Amino acid sequence: MFEFPKNLYTDVRIEEAHTTKIAYKNKTIQEEKIRRNKGAFVRVFDGERWYYSSTTDVDRLQEKIDELASMANPKEGLEDHPIVKAFETNQDKILQYEETDVSKVPAHKKRELMEEYLSLLDVEGIAHHKSFYVDNRIVKSFYSSKGAAVTFDKQTCGIRMDMDVVFGKKKDQVGVSRGAVHFEELAGLQEYFQTEIDKNLDYVKNAEPVEAGTYPVLLSPTATGVFTHESFGHKSESDFMVGDETMAKEWKLGKRIGQKHLNIVDDGNVRGNGYVPYDDEGTKGKKTRIITDGELTGRLHSTLTAALMEEGLTGNARAVDFEYEPIVRMSTTYIEKGDTPLDEMIANVRNGVFIDTIKHGSGMSTFTLAPARAYKIEDGNITTPINVSVVTGNVFETLALVDNLSEEFDLLSFVGGGCGKMEQFPLPVGFGGPYTLVRELKVE
Amino acid sequence: MKKETVSIRTKETTARIRNTAVEAVRTKDIVKKAVRVYDEGKLGIGGSIGDVEESVWEKQAKDNLEAGIEYPYPLETGTDHRDYNANPMDAQTMLKHTERILKTLRDEFPEFTFSESVTIRETTTTMRNSEGLDLSYHDGRFELGFILKEKKSANLFDGFVAFEGRKFDPERFWAFNRKYLAAYNNPVDFPKGDKLPVFTLGGPETKRFLMRALNGENYATNSSLFSGKIGERLFHEKLTLEQNRNPKETHQAFFDNEGVRNENDRVALIENGVLKKPFTDKETAERYNLPHTGGASGAYDGVPSLRTAPLRFKTDSEDIKKTLKGEPAILVVVSSGGDFTAEGTYAAPVQLAFLFDGENILGKLDEFTMRSSLFAMYGEDYIGTFKSDELYLGDDVQLQGFYMDIKR
Repeated sequence: MFEFPKNLYTDVRIEEAHTTKIAYKNKTIQEEKIRRNKGAFVRVFDGERWYYSSTTDVDRLQEKIDELASMANPKEGLEDHPIVKAFETNQDKILQYEETDVSKVPAHKKRELMEEYLSLLDVEGIAHHKSFYVDNRIVKSFYSSKGAAVTFDKQTCGIRMDMDVVFGKKKDQVGVSRGAVHFEELAGLQEYFQTEIDKNLDYVKNAEPVEAGTYPVLLSPTATGVFTHESFGHKSESDFMVGDETMAKEWKLGKRIGQKHLNIVDDGNVRGNGYVPYDDEGTKGKKTRIITDGELTGRLHSTLTAALMEEGLTGNARAVDFEYEPIVRMSTTYIEKGDTPLDEMIANVRNGVFIDTIKHGSGMSTFTLAPARAYKIEDGNITTPINVSVVTGNVFETLALVDNLSEEFDLLSFVGGGCGKMEQFPLPVGFGGPYTLVRELKVE
Repeated sequence: MKKETVSIRTKETTARIRNTAVEAVRTKDIVKKAVRVYDEGKLGIGGSIGDVEESVWEKQAKDNLEAGIEYPYPLETGTDHRDYNANPMDAQTMLKHTERILKTLRDEFPEFTFSESVTIRETTTTMRNSEGLDLSYHDGRFELGFILKEKKSANLFDGFVAFEGRKFDPERFWAFNRKYLAAYNNPVDFPKGDKLPVFTLGGPETKRFLMRALNGENYATNSSLFSGKIGERLFHEKLTLEQNRNPKETHQAFFDNEGVRNENDRVALIENGVLKKPFTDKETAERYNLPHTGGASGAYDGVPSLRTAPLRFKTDSEDIKKTLKGEPAILVVVSSGGDFTAEGTYAAPVQLAFLFDGENILGKLDEFTMRSSLFAMYGEDYIGTFKSDELYLGDDVQLQGFYMDIKR
């Protein structure tokens, strides 16, 4: 297919994306965008430096390969370079969404589905609303000079409704969404959306300012997912550790990070936003146990980081799209469920905070969660809604403060947005987990 | 049937940096184009990435008319071609600068590692239509963005070294960054007091919150914190907040997504502390009888809509050092994850901050939390918006000062 230059490592990733966005302002259609985009990313490695090119001119990829090769310094024996040796050479074709391809569902069916749900927003308190349906199906092909040849597809779809709610002087913007893999899964969700809309309205109407302080915090599966991603997930991305002795010592495998019941997993095989059957270097998706029984047992790798740290590949080299090179990213990252019923967890909290939904989170030395809906927990009951700016904790300490995990468990996919890492945003990732009780976090 | 085309061409070269060395060089040449057709009050759009024949998108746009998207507004006219950087830096010069900077960092600051990227980016944006509109904006930028890590630290990263501008002056870069990096190695105590002068480079959460409050639709439907307050004084009398499309200051096209230009490329939304108007696109202005500000946003191939606007404070103060009159201040460099509650209460963790005398960065402070509220920050506790020439971080960088509650 391509003539790969000698004594260089070369790979080519071609992405063909079909996307739909149907947007409404109140009940009026505002946009119906159906796009088919194709682009490619080419990499050449000479053992010292990488040369990358992204292009929309996919008919002239050989020229791009040759152009990059002319900048590189070919070396005999490059196949023995540890990074080159580490690349997998899978040959596979997994087109599992051809039958249920979201791009083949007629646009009018997508409009009808949306319009059915929009009627739920005709209620007192919602001043105006913006909603959208989105889907995307991507077919990725990957070829390398080592012989890898992989083609696979992935798809997601979802609905999001954002509403501006006003009750006198109490005003807020709240939202509800649901992601799925197949279009049919988005049907019949009236009860789910109705419940969430009712919760949002009640929250805005009755929320009181929080009394800032340190509280035991119960996180919902959504909040647990963001907490896991921000407080620990980024720390497991090994590109932050390459060539860094302090980090290598701090995050040495076998180190105790949390209590015995804490298990954290990253799994590229989970369908949804974080589905990575093959990563963007052609490595097969894997399930990586990052924390097992409270101890650090793994981390996430690209081929480069795995080779440099002399660890196994994990299939976590991901690019946000064809314009970027793959870097180490999470796929679907979650805390495994515990064995305590949720009711029992709540009953044991005297004075705490329940984080139900999340606006955003971040994770440096201090991780943050900005709640969308939060509530007091008083004497074993979830009670008054509270306005909270931000919940914070120290990334080095907080995992050890995870005291309890529920038997209830949920994995989710955001609709809109995603994970950001420097210039690459938004990358779709999966997240979730059980209800999680953290002994203490700062609530502002 | 009327026709309009939008195109964005981006050419860039990036040096990817890992552990204070160039790891990779990346080139990009991406074209994004869209065709809009207008017929009987409806709008259809076709487009995609790649240099495809215009007729392909035109057909797509005509098919898209069936979706029934209403757009009964007049199209813009007029010609305006602007080039803000006719001779942008080339790739070889960028790579030479990069290698020199990295060598200096390795030689003089071995206690840190620096990673991420240096980029030169050239962008050409055009909008043309069958009614005579012909707009084009060309610009070129040099962007240096390093995450900095102290070798002794177990954090993912500990700070940033950054610069964004049309020209790059290595002497000024080093005059500032040598002092800035030296301050990392000089831990200092907090000044006395719980309410201190804090200077920021403009937090994204503040702009996001103001954008929501100044959105014309939110304003008109009573869902803005500012609803019903046009003509009222909201903030400090010297504060002016503009919808600013002056590329010299905001580095983006001088027209909105409907091709609308403003006189002097700006519109005051809050002037001398008084709310003048929210930002609006054509639809919002007509529907709610508000002044039209040319505030339409959207993707190159999207329907113009009212979501974000380029908000920028007017520089209203000079000489931070003189203003502080010897009072020690805090310069916030990294504050990630903070936010406002619906009623405007603000709290944010500060991951990296320095002691600051208004001119010089004196030493590094421990992490802390800052608290305030929108109306206090821009009201009684507002110090001012300053142009910062000392901090060589880019073209037209502003520093904004407030008195904030500090919790160590």
